[in-house]
Amino acid sequence: MGERAALTSRLCRINKDVSADDVIVAFAFDLPREGYGVVDGFVAVTTERVYVYEDDRLTADYDASGITEYIFTNGVGCVFAECVYNGEHIMLCRASMSHKDTIAAIIWQLTRRLERGTYSYAYEEDTDVKCPTCGRKYPPGSHVCPHCTAKSGYLRRIWQIAKPYRAFIFFSIALYFVSSIVQLIPPRLNRILVDDYIRVDGAYELSFTQTFIIGFVTVVLSILGVNILQRVIGIVRGLTLIEAGTRMTVALRSMVFDKIQQLSVSKISKRTAGELMNRVTDDTNQLQNFIKNDIGGFFEQVLIFVAVAGILFFYDWKLALVILVPAPIVVMANRIFHQKMRRMFHRQWVMNSRSNTILHDIFSGIRVVKSFGMEHREMERYDDATRHECEAQITAETFFAKFSPLMSFLMGLGEFFLLYYVGDKIIGGTMTLGQMQEFTSYVTIIYGPLRWLSNFPRRYERTMTSVVKIFDIIDEDVDVSDKEDATELDIKGHIEFEDVSFGYDSGNNVLHNINLTVEPGDFVGIVGRSGVGKSTLINLVMRLYDVDDGTIRIDGVDIRDISQSSLRSQIGVVLQETFLFSGTIYDNIAYAKPSATRDEVLAAAKLAGAHSFIMKMPDAYNTHVGERGHTLSGGERQRIAIARALLHDPRILILDEATASLDTETEKQIQDALQILSQNRTTLAIAHRLSTLRNATKLIVLDKGTVAEVGTHDELMRRRGIYYGLVMAQRQMSRMSQ
Amino acid sequence: MAEELKKTALSDVVSITYITNENAVFKREGDFLSLNVKLPEGVGLDGEATGGEKYFDRIYLHRSFPYEHPYKYISVLDRDSAEIGIISDVDEFPDDIASMLRAELDRKYYAPVIDKILSVKERYGYSYWEVISDGRKLSFNMRDTFRNILKVSPEHVFLNDSDSNRYEIKNTEALDRKSFKRIELYL
Repeated sequence: MGERAALTSRLCRINKDVSADDVIVAFAFDLPREGYGVVDGFVAVTTERVYVYEDDRLTADYDASGITEYIFTNGVGCVFAECVYNGEHIMLCRASMSHKDTIAAIIWQLTRRLERGTYSYAYEEDTDVKCPTCGRKYPPGSHVCPHCTAKSGYLRRIWQIAKPYRAFIFFSIALYFVSSIVQLIPPRLNRILVDDYIRVDGAYELSFTQTFIIGFVTVVLSILGVNILQRVIGIVRGLTLIEAGTRMTVALRSMVFDKIQQLSVSKISKRTAGELMNRVTDDTNQLQNFIKNDIGGFFEQVLIFVAVAGILFFYDWKLALVILVPAPIVVMANRIFHQKMRRMFHRQWVMNSRSNTILHDIFSGIRVVKSFGMEHREMERYDDATRHECEAQITAETFFAKFSPLMSFLMGLGEFFLLYYVGDKIIGGTMTLGQMQEFTSYVTIIYGPLRWLSNFPRRYERTMTSVVKIFDIIDEDVDVSDKEDATELDIKGHIEFEDVSFGYDSGNNVLHNINLTVEPGDFVGIVGRSGVGKSTLINLVMRLYDVDDGTIRIDGVDIRDISQSSLRSQIGVVLQETFLFSGTIYDNIAYAKPSATRDEVLAAAKLAGAHSFIMKMPDAYNTHVGERGHTLSGGERQRIAIARALLHDPRILILDEATASLDTETEKQIQDALQILSQNRTTLAIAHRLSTLRNATKLIVLDKGTVAEVGTHDELMRRRGIYYGLVMAQRQMSRMSQ
Repeated sequence: MAEELKKTALSDVVSITYITNENAVFKREGDFLSLNVKLPEGVGLDGEATGGEKYFDRIYLHRSFPYEHPYKYISVLDRDSAEIGIISDVDEFPDDIASMLRAELDRKYYAPVIDKILSVKERYGYSYWEVISDGRKLSFNMRDTFRNILKVSPEHVFLNDSDSNRYEIKNTEALDRKSFKRIELYL
């Protein structure tokens, strides 16, 4: 049962006067009106009244007709639902951030209800974000609970991905089996060698017969053969696993990368570039290493352990017990020791990364540091960080130096018992020297798997963490997706916003009830103060985000019904900050149209005013730009971006402060280029310098997230509204700077 | 000549509007605060006259330095998040107004104080916390401990859970030994 239904029935149980049919919405809250603590409260909005209950006790009750406004307010660490009741601001409830999305969506719908009488429950699908098993919230955008999904679930999925490579994995596991059996042979051969051929009773002369020599050579060659066999198996196994691991990693990487490409900008921008890179590279590598080193290794070590333990028990069960009984204790001690070491080295790593960050900061900002004469302060800051790092390192290393030999001693303790035991037996004549050697070899072998297996859970856990993080991205819901029957539209350029509302964060609408129409071929200037939602408006046209409410139509078709590739292939964008990819200037211009001919690229560059400066470079269009390439000035980069947009030949051109960072002369040149570019296509241009929009066929003035004014420059100047104020302020500024 | 080169202080160029007991009257209307304030006369960038006596039926308080000065440098905002002015120190107001302002701030900034850490379990890149705050047991989870544990000072830390709820540890050194051990790794 959904929250609304549950609370409605609770309300009807407590308050017999209320009928479930009258309840519009009910939502829970968990914080008291003031101070700390927890309450079990809910607000119920009915057609007649609004009730507030805390722990099933009615604390407030308002006549719904007296409410003129519903308000959602973000606190810090909490949120508020408010209303304006008979002219007074009333707090309906305070809730923890866990309720934020639900309450924000409900308050928004209640506002719509007051404005238009409509209420949509669509948000209930999105806000149902808790794991039904443990009640914890899913990671943002995902519907998989990392806490409840059993490891086996993830393993099963990895196994699915590994399907094409399973043969390789099975083959390598089989080789591990063979290799573990082969490992058990040398001690046996050694025993034969010692007992039958290297005699300690001095009776060599009696034994130097042909049979003796053949036997001796056979044993030695067998030892050599086993050794070679082990190496060969190792090589084949390694190659097989590299093949499987690498192929699987590549498959997984493309899965993660493809998924990231499908996600909307809002989802991608919730993560840093570094985090995404880690998912694609480090986490997949972790899995590759696990496949390469640990899966087969696990089977091998278990098999060796079981086989050797079996052999030891077969030989002498008492002795086997002496060796194996302390083993779990030693393994536990080893584990505790490693956990402690891990904490210490983690601390050292944190300290190290902190001092590296400081160093990176200082070097990146060296001009600022020097120009403010802050060298000494930065030196102190770095010294302080390195001192902490040094302390952490000393603590960790001291601990390691003290306890590591002790652990080795403990791990080898069984061998001392063994020495005593077998020594006693040899003296008593019940064991030969060869048997002793065989026995001690097996004992040495059995400690290997124990050590290996005691560290296995940590490696497994680390790999599973990576796997979960990988699936975290793979399982993320695609919020801006193509419909199955999405159309390929040949865009003419008619754009229409109908009642569009949108916010990046629930509860904070950036755009509110936007209605506007742009005719094909219009040059529309979007004007307004900073942060008013100008860039958001064009982001919505590009469908980098989906609207929260209302519809955007292009040529009468809802943009959610147009395939994203079709839409974006017909939109060209020039942003204030141009990003050039690592590559040549030619690559960067041709980016939007890889099929472009050299002539087209030249023509586009010429039109954008980029050709002349490109030709001044020794390598001209083959000049490398980007992180490691030639450094271009802001104006040059901008002109390349314009050439890129020109080549793209879009039906809708978007200019977001395309010329804002340029000097007046360059701006004039680029404006001329843009003028040419905007002919016969719909252009949406954002500019702070209003003079650049003088020729716009229409200006849209945004204020407080709504369309405040629409008209031509002359019309808006005559109106003496916001636009007039902005123009006057800019004129005043330019007079001051003259 | 030397006298002509008078030093220009920042305050000569930019004036901060301070809201004081002399120019402002805060009142509780409904459940929130209203403000009647006399602002200094001036002209805004868009040429509009600013200043004069103004009434705001609902104001919002925002801390400029939430960790260091929770009751000083308080920005007073209107419903459009435009700043009306700044309160230098809440305690400069008479006691009844000061406690009203404090209560308003405390209500807005919610971060339970952690007294004890019962357990921290890491699982697949998430950490699951069980803590005691104000005698109550709280459970929450955190996605990335590196980013969501904010050290205000070496001892004073804030924890952000995956829902963006905040928890405060005023002094990690004052925690009991076991609790400290549990958080030490992340500090």
